[in-house]
Amino acid sequence: MKTNRVLPGFGLALGYTLVYLSLLILLPLGGMILKASDLGWSQIIDIALGERSLAAFRVTFTASLLAATVNGFFGLIVAWILVRYPFPGKRFVDALVDLPFALPTAVAGITLATIYAGNGWLGRFIEPLGFKVAYTPVGIVVALTFVTLPFVVRTLQPVIEDIEPEVEEAAATLGASRWQTFSRIVFPAIFPALLTGFALAFARAIGEFGSVIFIAGNIPLVSEIVPLLIISKLEQYDVLGATALAVVMLAISFVMLLGINGLQWWAANRHRNNEPLEVAAGKAKGGAA
Amino acid sequence: MSIEIRNISKRFGNFVALDDINLDIPTGELVALLGPSGCGKTTLLRIIAGMETADQGDILFSGAEATHLHARDRNVGFVFQHYALFRHMTVFENVAFGLRVKPRKERPSDADIRRRVMELLGLVQLDWLADRYPSQLSGGQRQRIALARALAVEPKVLLLDEPFGALDTKVRKELRRWLRRLHDEMHISSVFVTHDQEEALEVADRVVVMNHGKIEQIGSPDEVYSSPASPFVYQFLGNVNVFHSRVHGGFAEVERSDQPEKATAFVRPHDIDIAHATFANGMPAKVLHVHPIGPVVRVELQHEQEIVEVELSRERHEALQLAVGQQVWFRPRQMRVFGADEQPRSTPEKQPFLF
Repeated sequence: MKTNRVLPGFGLALGYTLVYLSLLILLPLGGMILKASDLGWSQIIDIALGERSLAAFRVTFTASLLAATVNGFFGLIVAWILVRYPFPGKRFVDALVDLPFALPTAVAGITLATIYAGNGWLGRFIEPLGFKVAYTPVGIVVALTFVTLPFVVRTLQPVIEDIEPEVEEAAATLGASRWQTFSRIVFPAIFPALLTGFALAFARAIGEFGSVIFIAGNIPLVSEIVPLLIISKLEQYDVLGATALAVVMLAISFVMLLGINGLQWWAANRHRNNEPLEVAAGKAKGGAA
Repeated sequence: MSIEIRNISKRFGNFVALDDINLDIPTGELVALLGPSGCGKTTLLRIIAGMETADQGDILFSGAEATHLHARDRNVGFVFQHYALFRHMTVFENVAFGLRVKPRKERPSDADIRRRVMELLGLVQLDWLADRYPSQLSGGQRQRIALARALAVEPKVLLLDEPFGALDTKVRKELRRWLRRLHDEMHISSVFVTHDQEEALEVADRVVVMNHGKIEQIGSPDEVYSSPASPFVYQFLGNVNVFHSRVHGGFAEVERSDQPEKATAFVRPHDIDIAHATFANGMPAKVLHVHPIGPVVRVELQHEQEIVEVELSRERHEALQLAVGQQVWFRPRQMRVFGADEQPRSTPEKQPFLF
């Protein structure tokens, strides 16, 4: 089949992409699943439904969802401020957003733990009020929020930049208040990107290890996350148990990401009508006559 | 509703966008703000709409102070050059937006909204597109929807910022005529910004010519075209031949021979006669080019160092049978002279030239 494309090398590029993705993603994951198939379904489920692993799953996914939600809200504000308002030191603030990407996550975890500990800078003020952050599940949420902030902000920035100010001005001249303009005009426009940022942050949070273990306290059944449980199984030479947990985690993550992406696809595409332009043009002629 | 603009000034940094503008727009009038890009016309429109605040001066709506009123409280309809439709809403919802965001007490019922929107879509002849999204419409259709959306809230003033600038010539002409009709039917005051002189002259009741943040002239389309108040207006509205007195010792110093002054004479290309034989006050020239353009024939003449542009009717051209390289004589029928201070000088009807 010979097609005329503007850019040459489609075959080569596609082949390269497939090989690359296979080596990088499919091969390791496939190996893992293969290893897990040494166990039967029932065994995998037994391991996953064990009291300790069930608690770990709950902690991991709840904390990740919370962190992604918090970032979805505050990340939106940060992105909005960074795009819309000029202020002194804006570039510095903009650069700050990327720091969680660059910092070794273990360093982030240790720093956060130190600050929120009972004698830390923040901990000494909030612990007397009854809020304990370090060494509790709340600490996990804090660490995950820190690590995943850039995903939401960096996904939203270009989309907010794309919104024409004229559209908001149009809404204003039509009598809309600031809140109506935001909720009816701006938010629907950035919602798909917000979901993408949320999904990225959520996915990253599920897999996060380094920062969490230093602040979580890692108390089984309370603040132990799945990645840590996997490590501890490995340390006990329970490779099959670790694999089983990994496969279950992979499956849940996959399903959840699929769901979020589906939602995002829906949000991005519900405003398209699939009727071909020629048909519309034909109607236009008929209708305008 | 009438609009009064009092001593409005606006700067952006060092750039003076508007410099002490005064303008009255009576109720029911269709006014064009005409000028080159950067002359401040859009800024003035945005200040009227409340999207921009003036550094100085006042805006009065129907005699009442409106300078500090928020855009949403001014009851103006605004139409943008690039439509600014809400992409995620259907055409129907776009038009309904202004009604749906009204406070609960004033908001019409759903049935009323539906009736009103369909009525407006009928007015712009696009009711069959109600459930479409803006991305599926052509530019002309989008601009009509934008207009229907602006009219939905029954504004007292309609403001249009280069409304036809992004459309092709044919659609533009159609929409122009249509805007004129709509304006007359709705009994509102309209102000539209354009850099297209033909558009301004064709559609508007009154044309406000602007340049460098100042108003150069206010007048009916005929006034600004046939008796421009400044050299700028002369040059901006239509083609013109410019004669500098230093080039032609005789030009424009003619009537003030007792006190020679540097001056510039402006002659429209269609105000020039050409003949094969010399005649009184005729000047010699050589034909450089002959371009038939639709109903007129544009002839370029070379007179000494200068190129003179002449527009002839087809009949006149056929009678003359001009050929490139030919020697001819020409004479301006009408001209206007401006002094170095850009003020017009009186020019007698006859014999404005001395040779």
